[in-house]
Amino acid sequence: MKVVLVMTLSLALLLSASCAKKPQTADTGADAKVTTLGSIEVTAQLEEIPGEVRNDPLYDYAHVMKYKVLQVQRGKVDKDTIYVGHYNPAKPRDAIADARVPQIGGNVKQFRVGDVHRMALEVPIDDYYMGGIINKYFGQVNDPIYWAIWTNKVSK
Amino acid sequence: MTARCGPRVCLIVVFLVLIGVVAPSQIVLELREGETPGITDLVRQTPTRANLKRLESDLETKCRLAQAVRPWVQYARFVLLQDAGDKALLGHCGWFFYRPAVQYLVAPCPLPPTVGTQGDIFTAIVSFRDELAKRGIKLLVMPAPNKSSVYPEMLAARAETAAPVNPTTRAVLATLKQAGVEVVDLFEVYGQGRVGLAPPQSLSDGNRWGKPHPTYYLAQDSHWSPEGMRLAANVVARRLLDSGWVQKGSVRYDTKPVTIHRHGDVLRMIRVPQVERLYEPEQIDCAQVVNTDTGKPYVDDPDSPVLVLGDSFLRIFERDEPGSGGFIAHLAHNLGFGLTSVVNDGGASTLVRQQLARKPALLAGKKVVVWEFVERDIRFGTEGWQVIPLP
Repeated sequence: MKVVLVMTLSLALLLSASCAKKPQTADTGADAKVTTLGSIEVTAQLEEIPGEVRNDPLYDYAHVMKYKVLQVQRGKVDKDTIYVGHYNPAKPRDAIADARVPQIGGNVKQFRVGDVHRMALEVPIDDYYMGGIINKYFGQVNDPIYWAIWTNKVSK
Repeated sequence: MTARCGPRVCLIVVFLVLIGVVAPSQIVLELREGETPGITDLVRQTPTRANLKRLESDLETKCRLAQAVRPWVQYARFVLLQDAGDKALLGHCGWFFYRPAVQYLVAPCPLPPTVGTQGDIFTAIVSFRDELAKRGIKLLVMPAPNKSSVYPEMLAARAETAAPVNPTTRAVLATLKQAGVEVVDLFEVYGQGRVGLAPPQSLSDGNRWGKPHPTYYLAQDSHWSPEGMRLAANVVARRLLDSGWVQKGSVRYDTKPVTIHRHGDVLRMIRVPQVERLYEPEQIDCAQVVNTDTGKPYVDDPDSPVLVLGDSFLRIFERDEPGSGGFIAHLAHNLGFGLTSVVNDGGASTLVRQQLARKPALLAGKKVVVWEFVERDIRFGTEGWQVIPLP
């Protein structure tokens, strides 16, 4: 039992050291990719991930998520709420590009409701991505679906 | 007493260490990378069923310690127990099977098969057929058999060579035919094609069965082989021409032999490089379709009278290497004109029709829609079998 206690205490110390080591700095998510790729660039808050995000090794899917637009950096976005398809969202963005979808990426590791993302987008998704699209809003929302090319995390 | 307690205490300590190390180390690593620890989602999000399931899945897949250890544990399980993980099953002679397809074959299924509350296959197909009929378009449905339905003997020695088509599949095919839906029965086609031929495992047993023959499915993959695909394309072309739904066109195509080497998708989905290295890439002799006049590989024609919808069975050899060598190109070769196609990996039950509904212009000028879906989608189709009205 002593071993467990010692290890837990060590990890707690490491944890606090780690927390102290990295002060939170504001990050707008801007980088060379997100500011140049696609025809639209927005900063938006992830409001909803409907249903279960599939992590199927046999197939690749885009999953449509709901965002609240906070700022439009490039292009035109008519509504405050947009629907964005992310390719294989169970995987981190820096490891997402493959032979079929080679030019997408970003630094988001995990999609979580409430997080703010800076995204380079195209619309409509069917013009840029031919494949499975899990869209739980189908039939309920007639807005165009955006295709996420680059997705960076924004921290406050 | 002390000797008896030793292993118990040891196990308890190991277990406590695992509990004490894994979660805190994950939190530390995430914090060091500037990420909010994933476990905080437990309190940051509404604890709905979907959110909790997603959290559980994220914790499982993103655990660094598990990521480091898992391949070696899986490799050991594969070597010692022939356990290929939760997505794959190892058959005979290096044949691999996709586990959900086998589950579809052996597990009882209610009729009509439903996926949650997302509709049933009969209503979805009949509704789609009727929607197309209003536009003067005919529908031809082609379920692609699971590999385990065609080659069960490669999965289990006691399985009969004659394909044990799942009763659910038989019932679905029969009900669709009764409802007047035109169906291509590849189970029958492959079953007849295999009569008198040697089972694949005997191909290396000298000449007991006479001349070796190609198989209709790939050994390491969940999909059909070039031979199985070509047979399906021949049958569909004959059906379309014999029924008078389309007339043979005048575009001339040739085929060019191309050999490729690749590890199959079922082997790759084990996601253990050490296991992949145990097997040579499969040699696949494909035939790429080229336009005789231009010498260029086959390309789709958006103005074609035929639209082909389907899943990865249409993608293999067509959009994957060698390209222009899959079902679509070979069907075009047999029909003498280019086709329009929509390929939706893993989404032939509902997603491909949603795609069509978003782009109804694809139906302009069409006389026939050929709709392929894999057999297991009858029960496990992504997003079920929703009725999708066409605009």
